[in-house]
Amino acid sequence: MLFSYNWLQSFFTGRLPAPKKLAELLTVRSFEVEEVKRTGGPARISVRAPLTERSVAGKDWVLDINVTPNRGTDCLSHLGIARECGASAKLKMKNEKIKIKEEKTISVDNFINVNVNNSSDCPRYTGRVLVGVKVSSSPKYIQERLRACELEPINNIVDAANYVMLELGQPLHAFDLDKIEDQKIFIRRAKIKEKVDALDDKTYKLDKDNLVIADSKKVLAIAGIKGGKSTAIDKKTKNIFLESANFDSVLIRASSQKLGLKTDASLRFEHGMDPNLTELAVDRLAQLIQETAGPHCYAKRCRRACPQSLRSSAGRRAGGKIAKGRIDIYPKKTLSRKLKLDLGKIEGLLEIKIREKEAVRILNSLGLETKADLTVKIPTWRPDLAQNEDFAEEIGRIYGYEKLESSYPTLALIPAKRNDDIFWEDKIKDSLKEAGFSEAYNYSFISKRIGDMIGAGLVELKNPFSEEFYYLRPSLILNLFENIQYNIRNFSAEKNIKIFEIGKIFKQEKGEIVEKKMLSGVMAGGPESFYMLKGIIDSLFENIGVSDYYFDEYQATPEETSFNFWDRHRMAEIKIGGREIGFLGALNFPALLKGGKVQEVFAFDIDFEVLLEECSEESEYRPISKFPAAGRDISLLLPEDARVSEVLNIINASENKYIKDVDLFDFYEGSELPEGKKSLAFHIIFQAENRTLSGREIEAIMAKIIQDLENNLDWEVRKSA
Amino acid sequence: MKDLKDIKNRAEKEVSSARNNETIRQVFQKYLGKKGEVTLILRSLKDLPEKKRKEIGKLANAIRQELEEKITIKGRAIGAKVERNKPKKRIDFSFPGHKLTTGHLHPITQVEREVEDIFQRLGFSVIEGPEVESEWYNFDALNIPANHPARDMWDTFWLRSNQKIPISKFQIPNKSKIKNKNQNLLLRTHTSPVQVRYMEKHNPPLRIIVPGRTFRYEATDASHEINFYQVEGLMVDKKISAANMKAIMERFFEMFFRQSAKIRLRPSFFPFTEPSFEVDVRCLICGGKGCSVCSKRGWLEMAGAGMVHPQVFKSAGLNPRNWQGFAFGMGLDRLTMMKYKIDDVRLLYKGDLRFLEQF
Repeated sequence: MLFSYNWLQSFFTGRLPAPKKLAELLTVRSFEVEEVKRTGGPARISVRAPLTERSVAGKDWVLDINVTPNRGTDCLSHLGIARECGASAKLKMKNEKIKIKEEKTISVDNFINVNVNNSSDCPRYTGRVLVGVKVSSSPKYIQERLRACELEPINNIVDAANYVMLELGQPLHAFDLDKIEDQKIFIRRAKIKEKVDALDDKTYKLDKDNLVIADSKKVLAIAGIKGGKSTAIDKKTKNIFLESANFDSVLIRASSQKLGLKTDASLRFEHGMDPNLTELAVDRLAQLIQETAGPHCYAKRCRRACPQSLRSSAGRRAGGKIAKGRIDIYPKKTLSRKLKLDLGKIEGLLEIKIREKEAVRILNSLGLETKADLTVKIPTWRPDLAQNEDFAEEIGRIYGYEKLESSYPTLALIPAKRNDDIFWEDKIKDSLKEAGFSEAYNYSFISKRIGDMIGAGLVELKNPFSEEFYYLRPSLILNLFENIQYNIRNFSAEKNIKIFEIGKIFKQEKGEIVEKKMLSGVMAGGPESFYMLKGIIDSLFENIGVSDYYFDEYQATPEETSFNFWDRHRMAEIKIGGREIGFLGALNFPALLKGGKVQEVFAFDIDFEVLLEECSEESEYRPISKFPAAGRDISLLLPEDARVSEVLNIINASENKYIKDVDLFDFYEGSELPEGKKSLAFHIIFQAENRTLSGREIEAIMAKIIQDLENNLDWEVRKSA
Repeated sequence: MKDLKDIKNRAEKEVSSARNNETIRQVFQKYLGKKGEVTLILRSLKDLPEKKRKEIGKLANAIRQELEEKITIKGRAIGAKVERNKPKKRIDFSFPGHKLTTGHLHPITQVEREVEDIFQRLGFSVIEGPEVESEWYNFDALNIPANHPARDMWDTFWLRSNQKIPISKFQIPNKSKIKNKNQNLLLRTHTSPVQVRYMEKHNPPLRIIVPGRTFRYEATDASHEINFYQVEGLMVDKKISAANMKAIMERFFEMFFRQSAKIRLRPSFFPFTEPSFEVDVRCLICGGKGCSVCSKRGWLEMAGAGMVHPQVFKSAGLNPRNWQGFAFGMGLDRLTMMKYKIDDVRLLYKGDLRFLEQF
């Protein structure tokens, strides 16, 4: 929010720090000041120039201050910020009383009658009537201050209302009194399908969630948000009704959100305004209009009431007479609360010793009255202060957080607990990194296009960000594939791009959202990539102590959706102890290369949470056999669809305790072999723990193995050695 | 028999005195070759009577085996010696080495590990929490009521309301203050919900950090992303103060940036802390003079922090009279960008290997 430096200065007799210094001070004491900008006037004017010179009309500085939401009640106003400046810079604020001259002969009640339907929607409604105003442009100083705060001047009535809002924080509205039907105003909820033509030249459709100001026939304004055209101030306006009301913050916020209309008024109301401010604000507005909008202002005796700069803009005043009394509907008065200051609590929270006198001085400087027994009266414009923690903040920040010295806590020596999930996650990441995989962090979203292809089971957003980020990702593979597609153009074909990610995926299963951590990787390359990935999984599992795993035939499950990104003929399920934990295989969609070529993509997709349950750090030393190992090779001619695992199963099925290891070391398929055959060769290692195995023993085992293998009629053991 | 032993002795002597390949080959021929002495004896065995044949055969075979071994070993030794004496070809040490291709870990992973490591050394345990969160944990429990403008501080991704999370995910122990089990769901806008989730299940004293992915519904640019990483800190005991928080934060930044770090606390507002602070670190580049990295401010905004609000203790079922503590939150993306001088946050989520392979 923008604040004028000159305006803030006008609350003080003493001099505020120079604009930049003031910004720094506010940043460490109250609110962050984003920017200090020069505005109006000639560009070159020294900050050190005398005050009078600095405040010459047109030369000003604008401070862009981030007022925090808890201070919307008092600090969306120059008065509120000036109070902060005063407390921080230890300056006393002027105490100016508002004096208004009421016309005794006319009473407000003769002009208007106000009905508030529900006082919880509108806790207070205050108003005044001015007659005989002359609408023209505002005096220069008002226009300049409005412009500094980026409000466009309109006319002396509307500008005055805006001016007082910026000054005190209370949103105000001026109605052309003669345009109000039957001299009656109702504050009520809008009826369904009711419409209003607003001052922003737009028509708004209203409903029961919008509070309106209406006369007996039409909606005059959307309460707390925007005025209507029907009662707008125009050049012919003579008599005006000034509204200074308090509306329920939640209602105004909902109403504004529903209309998609946020205004300076709604911004303030949704923070909750002080109901006790309406009276002061309406008087101030009446005073300002009278000062700036009446023929009698030409009179000499009025001059004293007009700001000095006004004298230079003679002819702009339009005067008016203030009818006696106010409309004021305020059935349930908001009272200030009292809270006892607990300095011990504050010291305990901040660990700074602040003398009682100093604490009291600080609270007083912020406008809080204190009694000798340290009872603090909390003004109704500070609803954010409710407990001593809040006092700690007020006292601490004005005292100066820079005086808060670091101090280490005194604690029992409790060591941090190791998080096993993170330990294993780190280990898995390291293992994949060693295997040449780079780690990506992808978006948790997928596009509408991809999502719609997948169809059911996706988690949907109420407010998707864009078509590109539309659903929550149901798998890491989709974005990883995009990574391959993106990178493949930047690297030569020899580079086997390998990327992995560990992250959350989201699915809907039986109406419930499943959030699950997955470990997935992709690799671009030829058919051998399958075996590279498989080997990488083998070494990964070895690194994390998973032993009871195997690869199995893919089994379609009933709940599977029609969309499947795996090539069913070239994939495997990864299982641990009979439980499926993931897949490995070729994807159904290849990556596109330049020139229309394609490159196959292989992937693995593992349920990370299940995998974690299987990780183990336990391992035990087994004595190294003192006796030599002996090796034998065996070569087989098999039908081409026979699997390595079938051979291994038979060799291992002999359950000979002397077989230490079986390795596939050669594979051949080609013209030298009979049609439909392939050749596999295995190396078998024999070793005993307690003696050297004799050649005869080994041959006996080999004979048995060969016999078992050749029990398959179309299998042929070509040679063994 | 005597002959055999004789042969053996002679052969062994000749083997040991052999100095080159040629000699050793001759020794082999002499004893073990086709017409070698041992070979001839073995061939003549068949003419001997059974008993003698067995006896001599066994011995002759043993000698043959032994000699074979010795000759082989000697031959290798001679070979090695010859090799040693040959003039050697020079190695071109400037030839490129064969590099092992390993992958790269994402810079956020590396920074997160470092942050975790530092805090674990300070006694903080590392905790995680869900990314799909209920409105209660993300907002209400943290003293951010519905319909309050404070909610605008967090632009939120909401989930369609026909979707539910399993009740078990609410972790509602009896003391939980959650009222409406039919909760609106959202993508957590910060890691702070884990404060309440953790305190529902664990009584103080406690020290935790919570790293994790968070989400904001806001336009993306060089410093804003729709998903990003935060790390939350929480320390609660009987008498934990803001001064303690300052000390811990200071120590963390010193350890992380590996240089002395001056920090500044500024007033701020978070509904779940009171008092609340912005934690600024004196600019590490210019030392406070003002430069482009700190936008001429001399300070870098690194974290939000504050003393745990009594309402948060209540939400977690703890009595605020008994406990006091601090909480803080900072952006891991920002720390990562600072550490590696990355100027656009979007690079972190693009999966571009030209970027990832630099770390």
